[in-house]
Amino acid sequence: MTTQSPSGASPLALEMRDLVKDFAGVRALDHANLRVGRGSVHGLIGQNGAGKSTLIKLLAGIHAPDAGTIAVEGAVQSRLTPHRAEELGIHFIHQDRLLVPTFTVAESLFLGAEPRRFGLPWLNGAAMRRRAAAILRETFGVDLPAGALVGELSAAQQQLVQISRALLNRPKILVFDEPTAALVRREVDSLFGVIGRLRAQGITIVYISHYLHEIGEICDAVTVLRNGVDVGTVDPRTTPTADLVSMMVARDIHDMFPRRQRTAGPPVLSVTGLRAAGAFEDVSLTVRRGEIVGMTGLVGSGAKDVLRCVFGLQRPDAGRIEIDGAALRGRSPSAAVGGGLALVPEDRRGHGVALSLSVRENTTIASLDRFARGPLIDRSAERAEVDRLIRELAIKTPGREAAVRNLSGGNQQKVVLAKWLSRQSSLYLLDEPTVGVDVGAKVEIYRLIDELAGKGAGILVLSADLLELLGLCDRILVMYRGRIVHDGPAAATDSDSLLMQATGAGVAVHA
Amino acid sequence: MPDTVQSHIALPVDVSAPRSRGADTARTLVRAGSLLAFVAVFVAFAVAAPGFLTAGNLANVVGQVAVIGVLALGMTLVVVGGGNDVVRGGIDLSVANTLGLCAAVYATVLGDGWGDGAALAATAVTGLLVGAVNAVSVVWLGILPLLATLAAMNICAGLELVLTHNTVVAASSPLLDVLAGEFPAGVPVLGEVLLGVAVLLAVVLHLTPAGLRLYAVGGHREAARAAGLPVAAFVAASYLGSGLCASVASVLSVALLSGSTTGSGDMLLAVVVTALLGVVFSRRLVATIPGTLLSALFIGLLINGFQLLNISSYWVNGVQGVLILLVVAATSMLRPHAR
Repeated sequence: MTTQSPSGASPLALEMRDLVKDFAGVRALDHANLRVGRGSVHGLIGQNGAGKSTLIKLLAGIHAPDAGTIAVEGAVQSRLTPHRAEELGIHFIHQDRLLVPTFTVAESLFLGAEPRRFGLPWLNGAAMRRRAAAILRETFGVDLPAGALVGELSAAQQQLVQISRALLNRPKILVFDEPTAALVRREVDSLFGVIGRLRAQGITIVYISHYLHEIGEICDAVTVLRNGVDVGTVDPRTTPTADLVSMMVARDIHDMFPRRQRTAGPPVLSVTGLRAAGAFEDVSLTVRRGEIVGMTGLVGSGAKDVLRCVFGLQRPDAGRIEIDGAALRGRSPSAAVGGGLALVPEDRRGHGVALSLSVRENTTIASLDRFARGPLIDRSAERAEVDRLIRELAIKTPGREAAVRNLSGGNQQKVVLAKWLSRQSSLYLLDEPTVGVDVGAKVEIYRLIDELAGKGAGILVLSADLLELLGLCDRILVMYRGRIVHDGPAAATDSDSLLMQATGAGVAVHA
Repeated sequence: MPDTVQSHIALPVDVSAPRSRGADTARTLVRAGSLLAFVAVFVAFAVAAPGFLTAGNLANVVGQVAVIGVLALGMTLVVVGGGNDVVRGGIDLSVANTLGLCAAVYATVLGDGWGDGAALAATAVTGLLVGAVNAVSVVWLGILPLLATLAAMNICAGLELVLTHNTVVAASSPLLDVLAGEFPAGVPVLGEVLLGVAVLLAVVLHLTPAGLRLYAVGGHREAARAAGLPVAAFVAASYLGSGLCASVASVLSVALLSGSTTGSGDMLLAVVVTALLGVVFSRRLVATIPGTLLSALFIGLLINGFQLLNISSYWVNGVQGVLILLVVAATSMLRPHAR
């Protein structure tokens, strides 16, 4: 029995107590706790903005908490710095792989602790390569050529390099931050094998993920964060996923989606026999007025390319695209916009907002001709429209003239959405409309999409969030390796079968 | 809708996208093509230009190249530490004018009756000071290297004018006599110095942990920081190194021209080309010391051949510009990227 641990039960590798952290007046953590047992795999889940990354940054010593304590192996660490965290044996596998693309595998592993010759400042390249190959083989059973360049490796291989790098430091606590975001199922399985092995070696693991089924698969305990507070720590193997979700969301997921009766009208978009070499083949689909159609598929499935072709950003090799029964005149984005199409791109922050301009300017910049009165702009009509959109999208802004820079990320995204929605088009192509948006904003966006459909617009939503599609759409298309493999009503399917279709499970296993 | 509420099930982002064999092949082609172009230019001039393939002329080329080559080696350090992103990456536009200023300092100090030792020290200090100014503006003031070193370039040009009143300052000293001479084998001493500097830098950059770390700092700054490297110190050191190389080159230039001359800024384009062109000789498409040395010789041969063929030297500038475009385009398309 140790006396260090207040609970006295199982010794804790890590105990974070009552952590508070404010960023510019916004409370990111509000008395959050995390207790991780030694040698366990501990999951950490929560919506975007729940405080997961803040918690991890406090642990890494990147930020200092405003209040609360962090104890590692029972010893309270009052001044945690990145260096100190490393000394304590806490290491991080980041989501974005921090590796130099032009380095070899061996160089990446040993950067900062390079083996030297005779203790002189002299690189021992041969030893570096030999040891790197040995480590990769022993820990992961993979034969990565130690001389291969990191930039040429697959995402999963890069992940292995990153993990091996952390293992070189003999970590006591290893924190995985969304490690599977870029991995395929087979690679995820092998990662889980690795994590199991690390756990068997007595390494404590904190595992952050969006994928709840992963948590159930490998974690001994899971802590759920919501709005900067830990709402509970449970055993994921005995807790139904639904309970975890409601802990995260604090509202029934059904309530997130509007369920208004929609009646589909005549087709607004019909695509027949569309083909783009190397991207997709023989794609035919229709979107009717008043209908919300969802489309999904892995990256490389061609779903995104279909969207781009419809909007004229990419040139198809064959096939027909008709808007309201008439072929588009010319295939360019401006022809598409002229034909009543609107595209809300995924990378809204990159392409969507001018940070120094006001909410009003950003909102109406793409639809100024609607407010034209002769050569001038009807300011009062413009203001009325902007105010309406601010109200409808619940954009949190000091006012319509506030610079978009001063808005939070989620609200900036809503501004971009408002910009495209103010065009009043007949067909909306939405590319991941809610990615990176908090739950509250999601609900508002869903309501708005439903409203657009209610007004008779056709809507094609591209999303990787299957629950979103199931909740929002009337019909769902799944693409796999360039073909539509599923097209049916949303009510007649579920996420499992969609996932199977999208990953080609049962079709063929590709290496 | 499924009855049971499921987790946040989402598709994994990417996947089996196999890494492109195409990029590998293209990189090999670029490398082979560059070497081939090197040989082709050499052969073409040997055939077409009278007197190109004589020992005297080739020695002359090495001598001419020495100044630009040493400058480019210094620039290489900056490119390695800053990463070769054309806009935000490391570049030192001040090198040519630093050379001008250093040459003026060297010649002036000699002219004031001091010996080689004092003149060398003053020159080295001048070069290091310019490097320090660059380091401060890039690392601590956070100014884009492109702009920061552009400012330093103008400061150097101005100071040089103050010192020389836009005239040639003749200089002679025992050291300059040695530098202007030849080794028994007929190789100009300037060439030997170029090789010496290259070997020294190659050892530091390619054989020591410090060199590897400088590459990490330039290749992925966040990764370097995560590895616990003092990123700022490495970047600063690369600018100091570049300044020091400029002062070494200035002494070579004074030896070659028997004094400080005006118009050193004209060398800038050639230096930039040399440092960027060297990239195509490496498997990783990064700047390396041997690569820079090779491309210095290539540029030297090009200029020399044009002179012998009586092609206006204005064309040399044009060709260099085209080379910059080609190299930058090829490397930015082909360099391996992190995913």
